[in-house]
Amino acid sequence: MIAFDHISLSLGTFSLKDVSLTINRGDYYFIVGPSGAGKTVLLEAIAGLHRPERGRVLLRGEEITALPPEKRGIALVYQDYSLFPHMTVIDNVGYGLRMRGMGKREARGEVAGLLEEFGISYIADRYPATLSGGEQQRVALARAVAGKPDILLLDEPLSALDPVTQEKFIHDLQRLHRENGITIVQVSHSRREAHLLATRMAVIIDGTLVDEGRADVVLNTPRSRQVATFVGIENILDGRVAANDGGHATVDVGGHAFEAVTDAAAGEEVTLCIRADDVVLGVGDGRRSSTRNTMAGTITRIVENGPVAEVKVNCGVDLTAVLTRRSVQDLHLAPGTPVTLSIKVTAIHVIRG
Amino acid sequence: MKTETLPGDIRRGDGEIVLPWWRQQKRQHIDGCTLWFCIMGAAIVGITVLALANIAMTELADPVHLLEVAASSEVLGSILLTFGAGASAVLLLLLFGTPLAYVLARSRPSRFKGFVESIVDIPLILPHTVAGLLVYLLFMRRGWLGAPLSDIGIAFEDAFPGTVVAMLFVASPFFINTMREGFEKVPVHLENVARTLGAGTFTTFRTVTLPLSLRHMYNGAIFAWGRAIGEFAGVIMIAYYPFIISTLIYYSFTTDGIHTSRSIAFVVIVVSLAVFYLLRRMTRHLGRYDDRV
Repeated sequence: MIAFDHISLSLGTFSLKDVSLTINRGDYYFIVGPSGAGKTVLLEAIAGLHRPERGRVLLRGEEITALPPEKRGIALVYQDYSLFPHMTVIDNVGYGLRMRGMGKREARGEVAGLLEEFGISYIADRYPATLSGGEQQRVALARAVAGKPDILLLDEPLSALDPVTQEKFIHDLQRLHRENGITIVQVSHSRREAHLLATRMAVIIDGTLVDEGRADVVLNTPRSRQVATFVGIENILDGRVAANDGGHATVDVGGHAFEAVTDAAAGEEVTLCIRADDVVLGVGDGRRSSTRNTMAGTITRIVENGPVAEVKVNCGVDLTAVLTRRSVQDLHLAPGTPVTLSIKVTAIHVIRG
Repeated sequence: MKTETLPGDIRRGDGEIVLPWWRQQKRQHIDGCTLWFCIMGAAIVGITVLALANIAMTELADPVHLLEVAASSEVLGSILLTFGAGASAVLLLLLFGTPLAYVLARSRPSRFKGFVESIVDIPLILPHTVAGLLVYLLFMRRGWLGAPLSDIGIAFEDAFPGTVVAMLFVASPFFINTMREGFEKVPVHLENVARTLGAGTFTTFRTVTLPLSLRHMYNGAIFAWGRAIGEFAGVIMIAYYPFIISTLIYYSFTTDGIHTSRSIAFVVIVVSLAVFYLLRRMTRHLGRYDDRV
């Protein structure tokens, strides 16, 4: 639907470098990356607010590189909501319709149903400064979709909300995407939001697009160590392939052997990525199992995080497993407890080079 | 907070004690530093208050003469001319200064921007006579702009347009800098959102940026108008006649002495205060979108 073809642009000391990506109709596309990576600039470039110095922007196959934002049919919601403070809620929501030539009264009538849909009818005549964060967020979203845009751009829409409001808003976004079939592009640095919402995603670091593709692929099989770190893979181990027997490799990590599936040749430097929830923790004598990677170690730390707990284990190398808090209690786990860790060969993602 | 009840305190029907205002004042703590700041600041305010009290006491002691001066057509005409010329200068600033202020507010820092900002500020740092001389040299009958405009019938020397252009020159930084501050305070995100909702650049300016800068526009206009009507040296270089109020006071002082010039000055003070007070009252809600904010 919209494609960036080798786009480069500079803003002061910051620059986007040779970014190419494709967002298809109906995608829930995530742009993730650390703070200052250029996510918002990329979003604004999609909206047409920055003119690229090199490259082309294509919308439905037609070049729109020089098309101004008001003619693109792409709506934008900023992290700070950016509601017009001198207009009431109903006038904010109807602004886009008025810009398309609708009269004030007609626009107000048109958006009444939308206010109902977003549950903000009761604040229709209030000014933005008197609204809560959640209310402002819903007004901003209603304003953005009032003009039925082809693409909705969201710049970290959940970051300023409390956890309860966040959950409600995630449901709103899921409903909007499912029922309206609208293409959504969301900037975020939250891996959790990406897990919950994204169908496709791009990872941008220092103005460079370092990974792009289906969300589950990017999240679980990252292309580089840098991406693996950012998408939150808990166990990232550097090693060297000791032997490879038809794609079944043995990788030496600090004197410990891991078996994994890769085409990397013997002697090649690789990085192993293992999700913490793929690490199975056992206590006492391990039963016989098909798991190829089994190692004994000692718990060094347990970090509780809501209903789950991250268990840090030293097996010569440091590994992290995720268990429910209930399991931690039932197994009487504590720092110093000897345990056995098991990891399936197929649970290890190997990054070459 | 428990407070001792003293004679004069009022007990309400629900038993709550309402302190008289003088006791409420006592409960506010002012630290020593703030107190000293207030005392030092009072010295500045005191000079103005003393000067106003001095002239008021003297003038009110002779109300007949004061009324005679206030009612004279020369004084009234001069006040109207001054205020009118000042308002004309402000209108020109609204028309030409607003776009400049917006461009300065939204452009990225650069040497050229710094250069333009310095040009805008020049009238602030020049002695007023120098400002007047610059205006005179440019707009006199043989001046770069004065000559061609004179050819089409617009004369500046000793004429109303000369007064306006001199006032415009000295007042421009006050309007442009205040207006620029106002534009800078409007987040660019608001303009970006308006653009994505279908508004063009000028429509965004008209419907979002300008309404949100109205208070600054108003303040800038008031500063500029105040500066314009107070100008003397800048104006007399190009337009000694017709008399604006500053020129009339100076003329009266040098020909009739202190008595009449002081009365004219007092009338100007009273009229100016009344006008500024009225303008403030009329626009107190400008730029405020909700009383709860």
